[in-house]
Amino acid sequence: MAGQLSLETPKTKRTKKTLGGLLVIRDSRVGMVGLTLVTFWVLVAIFAPLIAPYSPLAQDSSAINQGPSAQYPLGTDTMGRDVLSRLVHGSRTILLLAPLSVICAVIVGAFLGLVGGYFGGIVDEVVMRLLDAIMAFPTILLYLIIISAIGPSALNVVIAITFVGAPGVARLVRSLTLDIRTRDYIRAAETRGEHPFFIMFREILPNARGPIIIDSMLRVGYAIFSIGTLGFLGLGLPPPTPDWGGMISEARKYIWTNPLGVLWPALAISSLVVGLNLFADGLREESTRYQ
Amino acid sequence: MSRFIARRLGFMLLTMVIVSLAVFLISEAAPGDVARHILGQFATPAQVELLRDQMGLDQPLLIRYRDWLIGNDWKLRRLVGMPLVQKPVGDRGEIGWYAQAADGTLLQWKMRKEGLAELRTAPDGTKEEVPFDNWVEDEDGNSVHWGVDTANHVVLWVRDQVARETGVASAGRAMTEASGEQYFPIRKGLLRGDPGISQRTGRAVGPTLMRRVRNSFTLAILAFAVIMPVALVLGVLAGLKEGRATDRAISVMSLVTTSIPEFASGVFLILVFSFWLKILPGAAVFTSDVAPWKDPKLLVLPVLTLTLVEVGYVARMTRASMVEVMNAPYIRTAYLKGLPYRRIVFTHALRNALMAPITVIMLHVNWLVGGIVVVESVFGYPGLGLYLLDSAMFKDVNAIEAGAMLMVALAVGTQLLADVLYTFLNPRIRYT
Repeated sequence: MAGQLSLETPKTKRTKKTLGGLLVIRDSRVGMVGLTLVTFWVLVAIFAPLIAPYSPLAQDSSAINQGPSAQYPLGTDTMGRDVLSRLVHGSRTILLLAPLSVICAVIVGAFLGLVGGYFGGIVDEVVMRLLDAIMAFPTILLYLIIISAIGPSALNVVIAITFVGAPGVARLVRSLTLDIRTRDYIRAAETRGEHPFFIMFREILPNARGPIIIDSMLRVGYAIFSIGTLGFLGLGLPPPTPDWGGMISEARKYIWTNPLGVLWPALAISSLVVGLNLFADGLREESTRYQ
Repeated sequence: MSRFIARRLGFMLLTMVIVSLAVFLISEAAPGDVARHILGQFATPAQVELLRDQMGLDQPLLIRYRDWLIGNDWKLRRLVGMPLVQKPVGDRGEIGWYAQAADGTLLQWKMRKEGLAELRTAPDGTKEEVPFDNWVEDEDGNSVHWGVDTANHVVLWVRDQVARETGVASAGRAMTEASGEQYFPIRKGLLRGDPGISQRTGRAVGPTLMRRVRNSFTLAILAFAVIMPVALVLGVLAGLKEGRATDRAISVMSLVTTSIPEFASGVFLILVFSFWLKILPGAAVFTSDVAPWKDPKLLVLPVLTLTLVEVGYVARMTRASMVEVMNAPYIRTAYLKGLPYRRIVFTHALRNALMAPITVIMLHVNWLVGGIVVVESVFGYPGLGLYLLDSAMFKDVNAIEAGAMLMVALAVGTQLLADVLYTFLNPRIRYT
């Protein structure tokens, strides 16, 4: 019983501290603008079926490639689908895939960084050289090779972004690990005879979480950027899934007849990425201000 | 220092070998067949099989990799019994293979209705065509001939089976001649300067790639020339006014422009400048042989798009570096000495503040490459990025390999250059 209690108490404290850390965003005006933009899109994604007037896949052959009208507030695309509905449902796709791929990248990257940083020596050397090789690549070339190998699909987009993002996370976690490894409580845990993996995941990782969280926030913005780019290049989600990048590349072909069709998805993805980056930047600035 | 450079060059070579092998393996494993792609969906399985044979796709992966890397003409010449030589054909930089007889006559063979014909090109350039009748008996008693056809293959012709096979694979852009029994595409190999033939266009990769690289470089250099001064000035300005309105405005603006993906900002620019204001063309429509600088108007929007995305990053880097330097003790000393502000900034701060951004920018080249691919796609600009994208969609392995090798060499090479440059700017660092 007592043992359980002593395990419980620091955990709740820790959660509170993390949330409290996120609250510093209130002091940053730019950060709050970002938070508002992100909250807007999150709400849109959650209530997508209630907001969207039509199904994102429903086609109206009598209204193809039209501008805004009373019936279709943002117009229709080349297949007569309602742009507003596709936009609203597209926010779901992107807000699901981006955090998911960042979480995967953080899991993979944190594991590699912890292992490399904690064990050091030959393990570290091999892991880091491999990651260096991946990072030396033009990102776009990696995406091209990966996606053309495994084909475009939602899962493969997540795999590609994880693969590209993990080395960056690993470098960050490794440098944090190298620092934390020298602390006394790690020495104590080693003297207790704890398993290396216990030390890595229960002692080091929780103490490195601050920079990792802020880094992840920046990464979500970057992941949305990448998912949009992949969609635009035709390497993202296969049609007819509503995908902002894909919508832009489709509407780009008809820009001279229906210029607004390309404007809406471009505005949507820009506002979301800008919002996320403003939020992450505000968070970083406020949390490092008093250090 | 030289040891450091040698090690890094070795690392680059290793990366390139791994990448080239990976691309080979991946294009092998990926679904879809390039022969089927070329012939279209109405080709018969027999035609697809024949084309695969002619393209050498039926050979083992490692053999194909070796042929791609160091060529196979030195091996195939034993089959033909004569040296194989390359001569330029036409004026587009295409190259054809010939067998060279002892007297210097260039030979190719072609199937005609009446039988195999020998195409001779004398050393003085005169051409003639004579019926071929120089068959050799093989172990099975068939009359056979190993020769070079007009599409860069070494072909085994069998006399009695000639008529039967003619004209099977005549669909689409594929070979119109399918008279031979066995085909080996002749290759010189990448290491000897020949990236092969693009399976998508049927032309040699080399000349096309060169034109595309030239176009992309024009774009990149122009963008660089705009980005650098603008970003450095903005960054220094923001860094000097740390925390004040100027700084806030520059920092937030640069974060916003950097956050907007290239395809979105490209679309905004097209809408504003070519749709509503009608002052600039919205697409860079020209064939890749025309030099892009012939019509500078086409370049404005692509360069502007790249600038918008990249300028913010460099400006923020410069700002951070400037802030750090301005808070350094030696700047305080300069202040206390009573030096004028102008002199502190220009002679004491700038040199040190610009060191970090310059090298960071060189490391940023990977981003610039990615941006260029997207921008080329937005504006239909015939550069290297679009070429790679189209080739990847088509599984055109020769084109992807050549493009990928170029990109890796460029990326790793720039990073090496950045490291070397950094040691010159900052003598405290010494690599070993």
